[in-house]
Amino acid sequence: MGGKVTCTLGEVKQRADFIIYWGGNPAECHPRHFTKYTIMQKSKFLPRGRKDRTMVLVDIRETKSVKAADIFLQVRPGRDFELITILRAMIKDQHVADEQLAETGLARDVLEDLVARMKSAKFGCMFFGMGLSMTRGKHMNSAALLTLAAEMNAFTKFVAMPMRGHGNVTGADVIMRWQTGYPFGITFNRGYPRYNPGEFSTVDVLVRGDCDAAFIIGADPGATMPQPAIDHLKRIPTIVLDPHVTHTSRLARVHITTAPQGIAAPGTAYRMDELPLPLKPALKSPYPTDEEVVRRINAAIADKPFWLPEGSQPQMLTAQV
Amino acid sequence: MLRIVNGKVYDPANGIDGQVREICIDESGRIAQNVTGGRTIDATGMIVFPGGVDVHTHVAGGAINFARAMTPEDHRRTQAFIRTKTRRSGLGGMAPTTFATGYLYAGMGWTTVNEAAVPVLSARHTHEELTDIPIVDKASLTLMANNEIVLDLLENGEYERAKHAVAWYVWAAKSYGIKAVNPGGVAAWKWGHDAKQLTSPIAGYNNITPGTIVTQLARICEELNLPHPIHLHCNNLGAPGNIATTIDTLKHLEGRRAHIAHSQYHAYGGDGWESMCSRTSELADYFNSHPQLTTDAGAVLFGDTVTITADGPWQHLLYKLTGRKWGNLDVENETGCGIVPYTYRPSNLVNAVQWAAGLELLLLIKDPWQVFLSTDHPNGGCFWRYPEIIKLLMCADFRRECLTQLPARIKKHITLPEIDREYTLYEVATAMSAGPARALGLTRKGNLGVGCDGDVVIYHDTDDVEQMFGHPRYVIKGGEIVIEEGEIRETPEGREFLARPSYDPATDEFMKPLFEECYTMSFENYPVELERIERAEIMECSSE
Repeated sequence: MGGKVTCTLGEVKQRADFIIYWGGNPAECHPRHFTKYTIMQKSKFLPRGRKDRTMVLVDIRETKSVKAADIFLQVRPGRDFELITILRAMIKDQHVADEQLAETGLARDVLEDLVARMKSAKFGCMFFGMGLSMTRGKHMNSAALLTLAAEMNAFTKFVAMPMRGHGNVTGADVIMRWQTGYPFGITFNRGYPRYNPGEFSTVDVLVRGDCDAAFIIGADPGATMPQPAIDHLKRIPTIVLDPHVTHTSRLARVHITTAPQGIAAPGTAYRMDELPLPLKPALKSPYPTDEEVVRRINAAIADKPFWLPEGSQPQMLTAQV
Repeated sequence: MLRIVNGKVYDPANGIDGQVREICIDESGRIAQNVTGGRTIDATGMIVFPGGVDVHTHVAGGAINFARAMTPEDHRRTQAFIRTKTRRSGLGGMAPTTFATGYLYAGMGWTTVNEAAVPVLSARHTHEELTDIPIVDKASLTLMANNEIVLDLLENGEYERAKHAVAWYVWAAKSYGIKAVNPGGVAAWKWGHDAKQLTSPIAGYNNITPGTIVTQLARICEELNLPHPIHLHCNNLGAPGNIATTIDTLKHLEGRRAHIAHSQYHAYGGDGWESMCSRTSELADYFNSHPQLTTDAGAVLFGDTVTITADGPWQHLLYKLTGRKWGNLDVENETGCGIVPYTYRPSNLVNAVQWAAGLELLLLIKDPWQVFLSTDHPNGGCFWRYPEIIKLLMCADFRRECLTQLPARIKKHITLPEIDREYTLYEVATAMSAGPARALGLTRKGNLGVGCDGDVVIYHDTDDVEQMFGHPRYVIKGGEIVIEEGEIRETPEGREFLARPSYDPATDEFMKPLFEECYTMSFENYPVELERIERAEIMECSSE
């Protein structure tokens, strides 16, 4: 397992006649998704728009998105991985036992119908949300779904895409990748990037109390992280750049008010399909942009002595254990 | 200001073949007749080359960044660049990070790179990454042969309109030229199909065939006066027996100029993996009799790498063959992209044929001005392994030694054992610098004549070719010494070359409704703003 078979949202708009949302509630969390990209648009290939498309919603409970779906499949909580694995078997005509099916809470004929529809689609797309990626099984669930999408290509065109949110999280991920090779959970404490989610992720570093200062841009961990992490942020000098007063800014030692991105500050935001979109400010702000603040901090740090003793060069590593 | 004395100079652009010459670089970073003051480098016992130029590589943008995300296991075992006062941290390996890319290229004497595949839609991202590649100068090519708006125009016979649309796209992407990947095949892949026959209409169209796309795009490139001709990745990449497709494609070019990318992957005979063999002699003959064509080898080196291409259907096949990770990214209206990690093994007959075929092309095409050093980084191997290829080209004995590692039955599949040619230093300088610079239309690169860019690399003249080319004594970029004694001294920012073809101003108005029908971003936000390109150098192309 591994990799990701995906496309940009315009491909979905143009071609997808079969769409699955899995563990997400776009009607409330990504309200423009249906209308701009997925089910409501007409296109050269799908001239009748909604009528030419089938939408399946998989979730553990009925949400507001059910109304927009043609088919709703209610999976038992925590059984997503099992259901995806069963589907991977069924598309290849492998045997699935009744008791395995019973675990998922879905009947055989329902799944057989789903598999038939998936295979007869011309272009299928699966979107998955945090109901899949942040529940029991976590990244293994995402990997299973991405594998299902990859394997479906033996029969017809199929892709999958995570439903990402939280402003420009995709942009942070993209830039970290080109500068360090890794998307998140990176430490530079040996002078070069190392990656280990679960060890170097922000929340883990904070909970262990490993860092002695925190610098936070465009995020509000004080609202979402577990209490031990928040307690550590309170103990150490925490600096926050944010246009607003947030939970984190309240507990921070320093809060620098900055101009809001896209409203009063220019830049680039990466959409969930990793397309870069330029931000053009509509208003002027009396506050500096995040970029200006970071540049000034950087310049001030550059005036300080370098971290290595003068004249010494760090050793090049050719291999690490 | 800099003066290099007593070095043996290899400057094919000016016909200088190992004579001792003095090279001077003035304060503007250009080669000058003479300078007074400044540093003098005594290059006694050393050889002086123009800085290397990579005509075809993948170092920035959505695809390589996708590959970085997919290969954390390689980052862990690879060379790490530790942050110093002059150098930012990063990682080498199969898909190096941006800063490391600049250090690694400069570290072996390459000073210009051409990122060969950029969708317009994510060009903004590519330029941001290119900005983060230090030292080297850069150019990028726009993917065009599967752009549905352009294909629709060609389908309806609106050639003039298509030409303006292509010019509009090149300037919207702020790129340097046009890349065609598997013409029609990637568009067909959007429905899960491919295009393998040059004369059959592509999926979803009635008239247009891969052959017509090739012919028309080559003509468009010429008529727009782009500095680089069409940069073509032929149909049917990697498949046994694809030599027929490749020769057919070349015939469709009808005497026009073209650069054929990574031709090693397009020179196979046989009708299955077991019978696959190298047919490079046939391809080389075609190049030998058509001097207006250039190519890069796309040579393969044994070892781990990650394959990246806009050729989506081929990558699906490779995923099915290897069962390894598969990344795929279809880009609306424009193109696709596929990523599969791969290991080339000497024990594998197909890989062994590929390894031999790359070298055969470099050796059988007689004129080094026509065939250039490349691995189609990272597809055939990583760019930082170029010195290994140079050694294979310069030492026939070493080649023979390597051949003994291959399966015995390989002999019937390749012609490499019969080739005795060895590259001279002059030919190496042509294939790694002067040739690709000329093909790209970069007149101030790959040339040590007065007025050209002061990009110079100085090697110790030793018998150990791989050591010599892997560890230059000095690398000079724009007159600045960036590498000395194996250390990175300076990390200047490189420039970016853009081409501005002219097009009818009414094209904007014409494109807008078509654009809004198939794209999901606003038309006004689509073209990359010129202000976003740092240190842009624009080449104006007039159509007349």
